[in-house]
Amino acid sequence: MSEQSLLQVKNLSASVEELPILHDINLEIKAGETHVLMGPNGAGKSTLGYTLMGNPHYNVTSGSIIFDGQDLTGESADKRAKAGMFLSFQNPLEVPGISLGSFIRNAYHEQTGKPVKLLQYKKQLGEAMELLTMDGEYADRDLNVGFSGGEKKKAEILQMLMLNPKLAILDETDSGLDVDAVRTVSKGIQEYQKKKDGALLIITHSTKILESLHVDYTHVLVKGHIVTTGDGSLVDEINENGFEKYVRCEGCDGCSPLK
Amino acid sequence: MSDNNKAVVDIDRSVYDIKDVENEQDFYRMEDGFTEDIVRKISEEKHDPDWMREFRLKSLEIYNKLEMPDWGPDTDDLDMNLISSYVRSKSDMKGKWEDVPEDIKNTFERLGIPEAERESLAGVGAQYDSELVYHNVKDEVAAQGVVYTDMESALTGEYSDMVHEYFMKLVPPTDHKYAALHGAVWSGGSFVYVPKGVKVDIPLQSYFRLNAAGAGQFEHTLIIVDEGADLHFIEGCSAPKYNVANLHAGCVELYVKKNARLRYSTIENWSKNMYNLNTKRALVEEGARMEWVSGSFGSHTSYLYPMTILKGDHSNMEYTGITFAGKGQNLDTGAKVIHQGKYTSSMISTKSISKSGGIGTYRSSVTINKEAKHAKTSVSCDSLMLDSISRADTIPGMDIRTNDADVGHEAKIGRISDEAVFYLMSRGLSEADARALIVSGFANPVSKELPLEYAVEMNNLIKLEMSGG
Amino acid sequence: MDLKMKVNHLPALTYRFLKSNDSEIDEKDLHIKSTRTPEPEKIPAGVIVRESISEEDVRGIFAKAKAKIESKKTDIPGPNGDTAPLNDSQIVRTGMGVEIDKLMAEMDAEVMLITTKEGSKVTEPVYIDFVLKDGECALGSQIVYAKKDSEITVIMEYDSEPEAKGFLGIQTRLLAEEGAKINLIKVQMLSEGFVHFDDIGSICDDKAYVHTINMQLGAGKTWGGNRTTLLGDASTFDNHTGYLCRNKQSYDMNYVADQMGKKTASNMIFRGVLLDEAVKTFRGTLDFKSGSTGSVGDEQEDTLLLSPDVINRTMPVILCGEEDVDGRHGASIGQLGDDTLFYMESRGIDEEAAKKLMIRARMESIARMIPDEAIIVRIQQFIRTIL
Repeated sequence: MSEQSLLQVKNLSASVEELPILHDINLEIKAGETHVLMGPNGAGKSTLGYTLMGNPHYNVTSGSIIFDGQDLTGESADKRAKAGMFLSFQNPLEVPGISLGSFIRNAYHEQTGKPVKLLQYKKQLGEAMELLTMDGEYADRDLNVGFSGGEKKKAEILQMLMLNPKLAILDETDSGLDVDAVRTVSKGIQEYQKKKDGALLIITHSTKILESLHVDYTHVLVKGHIVTTGDGSLVDEINENGFEKYVRCEGCDGCSPLK
Repeated sequence: MSDNNKAVVDIDRSVYDIKDVENEQDFYRMEDGFTEDIVRKISEEKHDPDWMREFRLKSLEIYNKLEMPDWGPDTDDLDMNLISSYVRSKSDMKGKWEDVPEDIKNTFERLGIPEAERESLAGVGAQYDSELVYHNVKDEVAAQGVVYTDMESALTGEYSDMVHEYFMKLVPPTDHKYAALHGAVWSGGSFVYVPKGVKVDIPLQSYFRLNAAGAGQFEHTLIIVDEGADLHFIEGCSAPKYNVANLHAGCVELYVKKNARLRYSTIENWSKNMYNLNTKRALVEEGARMEWVSGSFGSHTSYLYPMTILKGDHSNMEYTGITFAGKGQNLDTGAKVIHQGKYTSSMISTKSISKSGGIGTYRSSVTINKEAKHAKTSVSCDSLMLDSISRADTIPGMDIRTNDADVGHEAKIGRISDEAVFYLMSRGLSEADARALIVSGFANPVSKELPLEYAVEMNNLIKLEMSGG
Repeated sequence: MDLKMKVNHLPALTYRFLKSNDSEIDEKDLHIKSTRTPEPEKIPAGVIVRESISEEDVRGIFAKAKAKIESKKTDIPGPNGDTAPLNDSQIVRTGMGVEIDKLMAEMDAEVMLITTKEGSKVTEPVYIDFVLKDGECALGSQIVYAKKDSEITVIMEYDSEPEAKGFLGIQTRLLAEEGAKINLIKVQMLSEGFVHFDDIGSICDDKAYVHTINMQLGAGKTWGGNRTTLLGDASTFDNHTGYLCRNKQSYDMNYVADQMGKKTASNMIFRGVLLDEAVKTFRGTLDFKSGSTGSVGDEQEDTLLLSPDVINRTMPVILCGEEDVDGRHGASIGQLGDDTLFYMESRGIDEEAAKKLMIRARMESIARMIPDEAIIVRIQQFIRTIL
């Protein structure tokens, strides 16, 4: 397993409403690896996350997404989730009438097809919530309804921990959070890293969340192209120098520097 | 708003109210009422083709059978036996302003019509009572093949087949009682044809003036914007005030062909003895767009709900309207839309202001048929109450027959907040000015859709209404 | 009986082609046998239940409130197409209107009076269960009268045998005196062979509060009316309605908040799901009468359409004869949004499962306000069975 790629993105191009956003993306993630995708605003980072997860608004115009040996390029999101992919949303859905706890139970049931063992499930949920410093009563509150920005992000990480995917894509999970919340969320991510072979693709434009995380690879996305890939130290370099260096680049035919 | 404010000149309502003394010898006035005899006389007077005479008589039959709607403003005080269906100046229609009879010319000049034409219009038609007295199109627009003529000429001239094909097909006389009446006694109005692909850069305009007391105006406007063409048409209306009821039952039929665009703007300022029972309807083909901008200020009683039929796939409409109901007015206005094609969209946005005992009703309907997959509609209506002796009612309806539709509706009613008035007063405005400013701001989404000079006129009308005029 | 009753008049008429100005109940073939409201299972302390109240008594109960309503009438004209005069003769104006009064009178429906003593705050609900057998046709009429500063909760549940056919018509009139609070909960889980109506009319005096919760889950044809007169100053009306219509079911509603007092507040929420060939007509009106200074009203309708063959009619009306008010209405009608679906799918929940989850969520969000766990469980079971 460790030799074989978990995720293989080959020559992937995607567009939104006929506007091309992603160009010829190649990306390989092995089980247990943590990848970081960075880039300036509007580079197409979230588009990549959505495209990997199969959001119908984003059209794959060429290339393929191979996950755990299956070609998922044309599959709907639920199939990808069942295959072990997870996306943490920037703006998670609010559903009045269904509690966070019961939603996770539903999702777990749909993914595994197995009945949920209630006691074990409750114990697991309690532990995960404690780790994320979430009050237990949140499990009974309606999914994301009336949650603050930070609580919503924690609820996403909670779902990640409970559903235990093979690959978790975290889309700007740190944006809009205060220092304490970033620390808590990052604790949740570490917990996920600890478990088995969980792979991560962390999409972010800041480096706050990465401080306490081990990073294997860093990719820089500019105007829909991956312009460079390096190891964890690239994060520090970008932290210091920003993206200026990467905005003029090969394959980015004459694009102008950041405004 | 501030831009418009700069342009505000003090206005005097009296320009609308001047009653031009009609020298009886110069005018032909049909006897009052609506009988077969009268309809035949009008038909004769207008040298109708046979089909039109038959059409009129059939319409009259329908008129006599239909009842008034039970849902709208009261029209009990409108005595149809006291309305003259047809009044016209004995002089013919002119193509040159200088040739228009002096008294009529004076009226229009006071209203600023020729001035507007010189400055910003592609063509102008002016109707006085029942007939057009003046019609002119700029040479360069005419050279593009754009036809802008009075309905009578169109009926008998080069475009007679087109008129026959389209006339009252969209608004059949069976539609409602006053559509039937219109079919029977219509006269005047404009015919516009914009050929394929022609984009008319500056607006065409018609101005309607009903001067005779106790008369009805029944003009018919027929506009065909052919495939890929583009037109902005403006309609202005006014009348002096009399103590007897006047009636306006015009009819506007708009055909917007494939990928064409039509914007139809109206500033209605009939006098407050007018019963404005007007019917407007647009048929919008594939990929085409219909835009309505509508300001209703005048009239004693209004029934006015321009309807758009989104027939073609990907067709869309936008309706922006404002109604100001002041003392003695019962203005029942709004819009109707029918989604027939796939991927059609509609957006209705209205503002309504009620003051000094006025009754303002926003009434609308949105129908999404089963075939109209992926239809999208959004309705937003705001009402502002300026005192507690007026009424502001909102009566929208929606009939949705497919699940594949996205329907949003928002309605609000409220008042001018004391804090807002206080804020402006703390900056040195008098209370009256502060309130007027807030009302102008409320109306701004509509006024900004109008050409500047109309926006100015609208703001003046608001100012006038606010000062209790 | 062979008549068609016109009910659920839109407070202000509009275009006839929308076919929403009123609705007709065809009373042909109805042979009403029972006209009695079943006795509550248990009568909590502080509540008095009397059966067979005379019409004179009913008039007596509402006389003071009626006089106050009369005294508040002003010269401000009604809206264009005003239908108020049609129902003026009602003792208490109800959502469905005078024809229901007439039916109840003609059939000699017994009126049950449920009263609380002054100042008595009863937390334990009064629970009335209508269980109908196949072929049963029943009427029921109740008055809930909460005296000054008292509190009462009444739960009415309508059940039938599965596959049963029949008719059930209910009228419930409420009077909340100064500072009183009434919670009225109605849960309808009749089988599809039933024709059903449920008509509510309330009067709220100073600082009084009425909260109605309606769960409409069964019956082939349903009419629902709910009209609250916020007569007193600082009186409040809340409503939560949840409905699920499937197959060829129809549901025709008329909700009105008639705001007369100063600083009154109304808040009406409607969450529904239409499946298959279901037909729904919603009329919801906020009526700010002259003199209702400082009043607010809010009406939110949210309808999920899950089949291409449904018909959804929505008439969200705001009538206003008062300057110092704040009224709002919002409606959102459509299928499951792409974003919702994508989120669900990204958690491994496919479209079919997502729809069921959203249906349950909607019904649950209303049902969980009911202060009775056992009923919530029965609702959940009922929904699970029909999905």
